[in-house]
Amino acid sequence: MDANLIETGTKEILSTHGKGHNKLVPILLDIQESFGYLPENSVRQVSDFLNVRIGQVYSVASFYKRFQLTPIGKRRVTVCRGTACHIRGAPQIVTEIENTIHLKEGETSADLEYTLETVACIGCCALAPVITVNKAVYGAMTPRTAKELFNDSSRGDKNA
Amino acid sequence: MSKLTINIDGKEVQAKSGDTILETALAAGKYIPHLCYCPGLKPEALCRLCLVEMADGELITSCRVPVVRGMVIKTKSPAIDRAVRPTVELLIKYHHERCAGCPASGHCELQTVMSHLKIDRKRVRRLRPPPAKRPIDVMNRCFDYDPNRCILCGICIRTCEAIHGESLLYYIGRGHETKVAFYGDEKKCETCLKCVERCPVGTLLAKNLIEAK
Ligand code: SF4
Ligand code: FES
Repeated sequence: MDANLIETGTKEILSTHGKGHNKLVPILLDIQESFGYLPENSVRQVSDFLNVRIGQVYSVASFYKRFQLTPIGKRRVTVCRGTACHIRGAPQIVTEIENTIHLKEGETSADLEYTLETVACIGCCALAPVITVNKAVYGAMTPRTAKELFNDSSRGDKNA
Repeated sequence: MSKLTINIDGKEVQAKSGDTILETALAAGKYIPHLCYCPGLKPEALCRLCLVEMADGELITSCRVPVVRGMVIKTKSPAIDRAVRPTVELLIKYHHERCAGCPASGHCELQTVMSHLKIDRKRVRRLRPPPAKRPIDVMNRCFDYDPNRCILCGICIRTCEAIHGESLLYYIGRGHETKVAFYGDEKKCETCLKCVERCPVGTLLAKNLIEAK
């Protein structure tokens, strides 16, 4: 993303917030929402604005899974690894997806098409094993249906 | 400073008012396990190993509580053991398996705690997660950081804060993957190396300084 765009965008976000230390998380949430991740320069601006060390900002940002420090792909693939999904085969599904889109868990493809991540629970255990692609939810997955989902690009597109 | 006496494990002990229970006990030659306490730094009571039992049965962190005239405390009791032992076992479970080769071996606080509590290494071994060794981080030209050894006591962070006003080191991440890092501020480090000196285990490792120059 364009550096200037990030700078002005961040400035705008900062102008809507006050200066207290308790504003740190709301500011970071806004930045995450508009850029999809926390660009380094934004973090620097935040640290100047709030007058806290950059390390402190990163310390908070790295604590929450919600915040990403690197750009994420257009399709954010989230595989649930909660207890129910785990028992019903989440590990095999992760492996299958890893092999299909050639990414390891936690990685983003170089062309920013996919990000693959796992989470502890999506909150719909009855559908286990479940994955989400951006906001679309796919339940009762098997390694085969997971593979088809990513090979059949039309289906993937529809839900992107 | 006025003197007073408190009772530790049935013995009368001289104490200075303003000192904490832990400081008094250590000065009197009575060991209480502790990891995050460091003389001169503000106690944070993070490790929860320094628990002692008050006369009414309450457990308190002795590194944080100042002595009061006539206090009666116990440093050993079944309740303390039930609280402290699992904490130590969980710490060791994520720590390096062997002490051999560790530069801190011999003056490591965790070793002291383990031998004091007679921790059963076999039992801890059963709890160990499959070995996933995390690589050593190069912190700056003067020292390295071994995440497999860090007990997250925060002494390095508090030391940096106390000496330089604001810390350059911070925690990163969450849970047992937490570590301590500079976040790109390593160039600002004045390499006083006090954090390395005070690390109670062998996490921060000074490099050969001559070689680094
Ligand atoms: S590096 Fe050492 S001093 Fe710092 S938190 Fe880890 S164990 Fe404590
Ligand atoms: S020494 Fe008291 S809690 Fe760590």
